[in-house]
Amino acid sequence: MKSLAAFLKPPLGQHWPTLQSNMLVGLTLALVTLPQAVAFSVTLAGVPPHFGIYAAVWGVLFCTMLNPSRVFHGGPNTAMSATIGVTLLPTAPPFGAEYMGYALTLGLMAGLIQLTFYLIRPLGRMLDLISEPVINGMICGIGMFLIFRSLTTFGGLPLNTEVEWPLWIAWHSFLAVLEVGNLYAIEIGLITLITCVIVQQFDRLRNWAILLGIAAGTLYSQYLNARVGLQNTLVEQIGNLSSVGLVLPSLPLFNQESMPDIISIVPGAFTLALLGLFQTVAAMRRMTRKAGGFTDSRKAIFSDAVSNCLLPFLSSLPTCASFNRMWLVHKLGIHSRLAIVSSALWLLLLVLFFAKVIAIIPMPAMAAVIILLGANMLNWEDIKPHFKDRREAIVFMASFLSVLFLDLFGAVIVGSILAIGYSKWEQAHPNISVRGNVLKIRGNFYYGSLPLIESTYHRVLEREGSVTIDLSDCYYIDREGIRWLAAAKAGQKAAFADRRRQNRRELARAAAGKDKSASGKRRDRPDRRKRSEF
Amino acid sequence: MSTVARKLLSIVLLVLVLAGIYALATQKHKQREDIRQATVKLTPGCAEKLSRYGLVRNERYRSPYVLQRTGTAVSLRGYSDEDVRAIQRGCNIIDDTQGKLARDPALERWNTTRFIRGSHASCDHCHQGIGDKQDAHGNPLKGSLSLGASWVMADMYDRFTGMLLPFELRQMQCFINSSNGYKPNIADDVLRDVTAYSRFLSAALALKIGKHYDEQGIDEIPASATPKQGDDYVRGEFLYKEKCQVCHGRQAFGLEANGQLVAPALAGPNAWNTQSRNYFYYVSTILPGFICRNMPLGAENTLSNQECRDIAYYISNLPRPAGDRQGPIIALQHQALMTFMPPLMRLMESPRKGGVAADPAPERDK
Repeated sequence: MKSLAAFLKPPLGQHWPTLQSNMLVGLTLALVTLPQAVAFSVTLAGVPPHFGIYAAVWGVLFCTMLNPSRVFHGGPNTAMSATIGVTLLPTAPPFGAEYMGYALTLGLMAGLIQLTFYLIRPLGRMLDLISEPVINGMICGIGMFLIFRSLTTFGGLPLNTEVEWPLWIAWHSFLAVLEVGNLYAIEIGLITLITCVIVQQFDRLRNWAILLGIAAGTLYSQYLNARVGLQNTLVEQIGNLSSVGLVLPSLPLFNQESMPDIISIVPGAFTLALLGLFQTVAAMRRMTRKAGGFTDSRKAIFSDAVSNCLLPFLSSLPTCASFNRMWLVHKLGIHSRLAIVSSALWLLLLVLFFAKVIAIIPMPAMAAVIILLGANMLNWEDIKPHFKDRREAIVFMASFLSVLFLDLFGAVIVGSILAIGYSKWEQAHPNISVRGNVLKIRGNFYYGSLPLIESTYHRVLEREGSVTIDLSDCYYIDREGIRWLAAAKAGQKAAFADRRRQNRRELARAAAGKDKSASGKRRDRPDRRKRSEF
Repeated sequence: MSTVARKLLSIVLLVLVLAGIYALATQKHKQREDIRQATVKLTPGCAEKLSRYGLVRNERYRSPYVLQRTGTAVSLRGYSDEDVRAIQRGCNIIDDTQGKLARDPALERWNTTRFIRGSHASCDHCHQGIGDKQDAHGNPLKGSLSLGASWVMADMYDRFTGMLLPFELRQMQCFINSSNGYKPNIADDVLRDVTAYSRFLSAALALKIGKHYDEQGIDEIPASATPKQGDDYVRGEFLYKEKCQVCHGRQAFGLEANGQLVAPALAGPNAWNTQSRNYFYYVSTILPGFICRNMPLGAENTLSNQECRDIAYYISNLPRPAGDRQGPIIALQHQALMTFMPPLMRLMESPRKGGVAADPAPERDK
């Protein structure tokens, strides 16, 4: 084993103790990913389970090969799967051949859009401008959305074939579950949910909660089938997966007849692409902060884009980073790409050898898992900091509500506009304080903030007759700002102060004195920065 | 409080909430089972129709209508007590969707009003004759949206969605578009009972599965079926005032008298929305077809194709709710139009009458 580990170490650049521990982590990841992969594809995306499984196998493999990060874990994703379902439901009946073709086309379009974000560097850079309140608002909104969307499956009811506003669906779906839902399905769902929540309370078992929950739900479902009979319980199950092999080639649907539908799903493809990239960039950012080290987010964009261009040809859902699974890898103490690769292989083995066990998992148990994941996305610890600042709270709430009242595409657009608007607003409002005739500016001195500075300047000038502008805490001045300052100085009523300059002189003098006393030599002054040369 | 106690408390709370939801679901299920088993009190229209078609519990069913028209008795599989009750409830829903004639509309009409916005819409407004409109001689009428004829079309290709829609999904389209409401779940009893009634109608009228009948759907009127004058708002307004205003009110907001609906709204908050196929700008052939074949009541088929298109064009220019998929901004815009346009229109029209409130319709419009 050690020799094999030594053999594998150089090409993968690993720093881990043994191959066995990597394999064990891989198995853990595979067991955690399997129910999610099945649930996302069947309950959210409306495609057969092998789509999610292939995303967890091939998606993970591609991402790991293309992304140098040692904790990056791709695979199927809740929000992306939900977007596929929402986008495609009006175009074709779920699980049909046409629907699956559109799902692949949607994934390919999203991959190509993501590739554009990689190839056009400024476009990719825009993703960094999406602030945390926006992302968290969207994540919470999507969490609520997932809960609403899973209600009908939880109650053993069929999905309606068109989409309305999620909030209205939620209320009517909830009432439908209460009134006409299948009580056996509700019982299975509740048992799964309660088991998951109880197991989650134990730190050691936390990562196994979903698996144990599904096991409890499946056992109860089998008990009901034995006691009442499947023909009476009428609870839908996942179905046979024995046809799933190593690979299942597929082609996205592109023909003349389907063009109107393909055009209608283009906004959905944008949503899918942006949601994937947002999550990948945000997860990379968070993980690198938590785990230490740094990986350029462009590499993650590249790996996502290329993977998503390839996956539609392998009957797979699109992939993006999963923060939860990445966090699990980190917590297990393994920072190795081999562990992640082995998770994909383990998963494939599990599906190949345990297809009959997976087939009897009841759909309400899958829905319960999605509800739990949705509820976990509403994490108060992540939300709380945004409510300490009024502006952040507004951005968070707007982003959150736009998911619920508009749709995911609308939320992406609103979120992006808000994020950029929020940062611009911050820049355009420097802190201006007046003491006597001294105008102190803390912030940016540029065309956006100039009207505010100018109005205060004239007010002080009118009152005092002259103004001293203190630029000590001003950290950026653009050309328009320079021109305005020059004009103010030309009017001979403005003087400028920069205490940094003074401080630097003092520091330099002190340093020079020290040097003189130490070596009798005088050192050069430090370079002055352009912005203090007024 | 210690961490363990806090965790325990949160688990107990969660289990209590989930148990509460389960208890509520059990109670609702029992309530619905009780309704299923209860005797159905028929509306006068349904009592007359179902007795005419000889609906009784029996092993075999022989339609009196078919016997009377063909002289031959056709024997079909009969109906159980449960079937009879489902058909009766379905008939009641079509005839009295809003439950005005019911003691407890929430129970007797399966909460149908929950799926409808506004207080006017009823299935019978479009599917006239309780879904089975006939002339004085008992002949079905062309383009009368017969429910029986619609049921025998079974899974029908829908050119708007490009999908094969079963009868239940077509009913959902009615709820979200024509009644500007929400979709019941496909497993909901509302859809099941209406389906049972429609199926019974097809048996009573001896309609054959998969066959197209003239009374099925709308006899659509495209522009090509007119002398190509173009659809005209002014002509439409004139015709509306002459032919429709007396029942539907001056601003087409419907008419109520003594708390009873006389004629439904064609515009305003109680009307169909802008995503409905009745909306001329969405589909320009359906509303003219409905008007020509079904309006004015008692004088059907008297309007020319162009007149029907003009009236439909005029009606569709009146303010109405936005469709749900158009999003909240369009919904707000349409709400503003519905709120501010009617008083403005009244204001504008008053001076034309020489300042005299000659038309009492505004007071009657609800």
